[in-house]
Amino acid sequence: MQALLVFLSIAALSLLASSRALDPGRFPALARLAASGFLFVLLGILLGPSVSGLLTDRNVEALRPVTALGLGTAGVLLGLNLEPRLVRLLPRPVYLSGMAHSGTAFFFVALPLLVPLIFTSARGLIGAVGAAAMLGAAASLSSGHSAVLAYRAGRLDRARGLGVALLTMLDDALGLGVLTLALILGAASNVGEGLGLVCLALLLGVMCGALLAFLTHSLKDLAELTTVTLGGVALVGGAAAYLRVSPLLAGVACGATLAVVGGRVAERVARALGRVERPVFLVLVFLVGCAVHARDYWAWVLMPAFVGLRFLGKMVGGRLAGRLAQGSLVLPPRLGYALIAQGGLALCLVAEYSMLVPGVLARRVLDVVVMGAVVNELLAGQAFRYVVDPPRSAMAPAAPDAKVAA
Amino acid sequence: MKGAVIRLLLLMVLLAIISRAQVLRADSGTPVTLAAGALLLCGLFAGKVAKGLGLPRLTGYLLVGVAVGPYALGFIPNAGVKGLELVKGLAVSLIALVAGTELRLGLIRRVGARVALLCAAVCGVTFLVCFGATFALKPVLPFLTDMTVPQALAVSALLSTVVVSFSPTVTIAIVQETSARGAFTEFLMALVIIGDLLVMVAFALAAGVTKASFGGALDVPGLLGGVGWELFGSVVVGLVLAMGMLVYMRGVKQELPLFLVGLCFAAAEGGTRLHLSPLLVSLAAGALIANLDERAGERIHHAIQQAGLPVFALFFAAAGAGLKLDSLMTVGPAALLLVSLRGVAIWFSCRRFAPADDPRLKRYLWMGLISQAGVTFGLAALVSKTFPSFGPQVEVLIVAMITAHELVGPVLTRRALAASGEIRTDDAPGTA
Repeated sequence: MQALLVFLSIAALSLLASSRALDPGRFPALARLAASGFLFVLLGILLGPSVSGLLTDRNVEALRPVTALGLGTAGVLLGLNLEPRLVRLLPRPVYLSGMAHSGTAFFFVALPLLVPLIFTSARGLIGAVGAAAMLGAAASLSSGHSAVLAYRAGRLDRARGLGVALLTMLDDALGLGVLTLALILGAASNVGEGLGLVCLALLLGVMCGALLAFLTHSLKDLAELTTVTLGGVALVGGAAAYLRVSPLLAGVACGATLAVVGGRVAERVARALGRVERPVFLVLVFLVGCAVHARDYWAWVLMPAFVGLRFLGKMVGGRLAGRLAQGSLVLPPRLGYALIAQGGLALCLVAEYSMLVPGVLARRVLDVVVMGAVVNELLAGQAFRYVVDPPRSAMAPAAPDAKVAA
Repeated sequence: MKGAVIRLLLLMVLLAIISRAQVLRADSGTPVTLAAGALLLCGLFAGKVAKGLGLPRLTGYLLVGVAVGPYALGFIPNAGVKGLELVKGLAVSLIALVAGTELRLGLIRRVGARVALLCAAVCGVTFLVCFGATFALKPVLPFLTDMTVPQALAVSALLSTVVVSFSPTVTIAIVQETSARGAFTEFLMALVIIGDLLVMVAFALAAGVTKASFGGALDVPGLLGGVGWELFGSVVVGLVLAMGMLVYMRGVKQELPLFLVGLCFAAAEGGTRLHLSPLLVSLAAGALIANLDERAGERIHHAIQQAGLPVFALFFAAAGAGLKLDSLMTVGPAALLLVSLRGVAIWFSCRRFAPADDPRLKRYLWMGLISQAGVTFGLAALVSKTFPSFGPQVEVLIVAMITAHELVGPVLTRRALAASGEIRTDDAPGTA
């Protein structure tokens, strides 16, 4: 029954999002949330156990397989983007620039918020460090969709748009790295076991990726290719969920292995997976919304601090990244404003963390990040105006397309 | 075929590693997604292997499900297979929707009366034979031994009603797989569909009589109301769905496969909640669309072919994984006796009563009527739930029979279609 309810809710919201009722001219904030999928987070919060209770805790628990499938899919897609040729081509300043903006936001959020987390943690210092690291990791992530949409609409120079998109892709690595660390620290009773579980997830992903490359190698029929791709993604996400290791990390390892050994097969798999990417993402963010405990007052206290500190971190980190990337990457003058949107990976990270790490703190991290991500998405719309329409003093000469990195 | 065998073996090795790794973990998570992925992949490649061996793909799906499922190798836990109930409902709805698009008014006028007569004859003879055999087995069957004669008669009638049922799902899936078309195929499909309607009505009556024989009152209005709601309510809901589909197809014109999957999912889940028959809901929807707008019917057919492969492979592999092999061991002799008698009764009644103008019907039609699947499972579960004192034992016997029928039925159905000369291609893309 719960699955039917989720399906009907999402179908209704999809129809609403595509109708004139959400005209960007009339309701820009709602239209922005609908376009980015964050409206589904809000719907999940509203229908979830902590607000209307239409979906109970038991219902949400019963939908765990769907969450695992969504996380596995997100992981495989991320892994497939790690094209080895492109990774080798990027110059070192680009990496440094990516690490600078994400690392600054990480420290701006993780260090100050560690203090209140220590006081509210029942699992001691290690638990609080893991939770603060996850908040930092979620803060370090940015979404490049505003920049891509702006250059496609002709409102931003193409080189700059792609430069921002590239930087936001690189910060995913930091987020995943911190998730790995946080799972090592918090997902098991000791660090050794935690490390073993992360290794198991990665090994599982590598095996599934290699197998998927072999299974899809000689498939010509599109229906068969799509079926095998869907089956492969469900297998890696499902096996990880069954073994209680990270579906996201296993998915990334699977996608990366496929990208390395698959050759042209990887492109075909990515295309097949692209057909289901959006619906799977919407269902996933809806379920993440359902998991939010809106009545946790500590989360409401921490959320403004999270958003504010992240904003400062992105401003400072953006300036630093702009300086480091000079000569290698063309970036807009007020880069920090382009990095405010947080994107779906942040939600995946905290969903994974709260699934695998027991305790109130992991749940609180999810609450803070999910609600913060919605606020950041709303802020991003306003902030991006400073990027596409900056004051004249801040304008730098536009670069030709030929200089676009990668 | 060699490539498919190697791929299937590699998949099974990976599943073995995963199930070994799980033993090392103190607690395990949800196995549903793993079951879905594993059965989908294994099903697809097992279907290819089966085709290489000259068997229906569907047999490959079923057999690999049995092999990796909880009752054989145990790579997929029982909870994982049970969690796929939703997919089963979805597949039945999709299959019924396609079948509905074949039910044109012209066809019903042409063969409707003859099909209904033959169906009544086949069901009647099979019922009488199974009823007699079950009652004769009273001293042997544990759940009948302690009953009075009227009670044993009522329970035998109830069991025989379920045993008579056919499998529209398997028949339509095999027809889809082989792209069979022609008079024989139409006759077979119409017969299994009408047979199921007949069984639904007969089951409701038999259940009412059984309740009365155990001391409950015979609630005739309630009984008729329940059957009426299930039959006519399903048709009405199906008609509403059909209107919705036509509006979508004329207005939106995009992502039809996705829309149909979503709608069938809603029909399956909502139909079960409302005590309607999801099969009948989708069948009525498909039939109305095909008769109102022929092109729309063809578009639905094409769209479901696109979305059908993963759903069908998963559905039949999950059905295979759910087959309780252990029950075949415990009630094996009685089940095998009833399976044989049912087969002989169907063969005899087809030879005796099938229309003489088409000799193929007399010779091969019986082979297409052996399969049993979703409807029979559903009725067996209903017996178990409604009659807790003896129902679970009856369910075990019926499930053992379904196991045997699922394994031989698809092969026989394909052979019947091949013998009739109506198979067009053996490898329609994207089919079951």
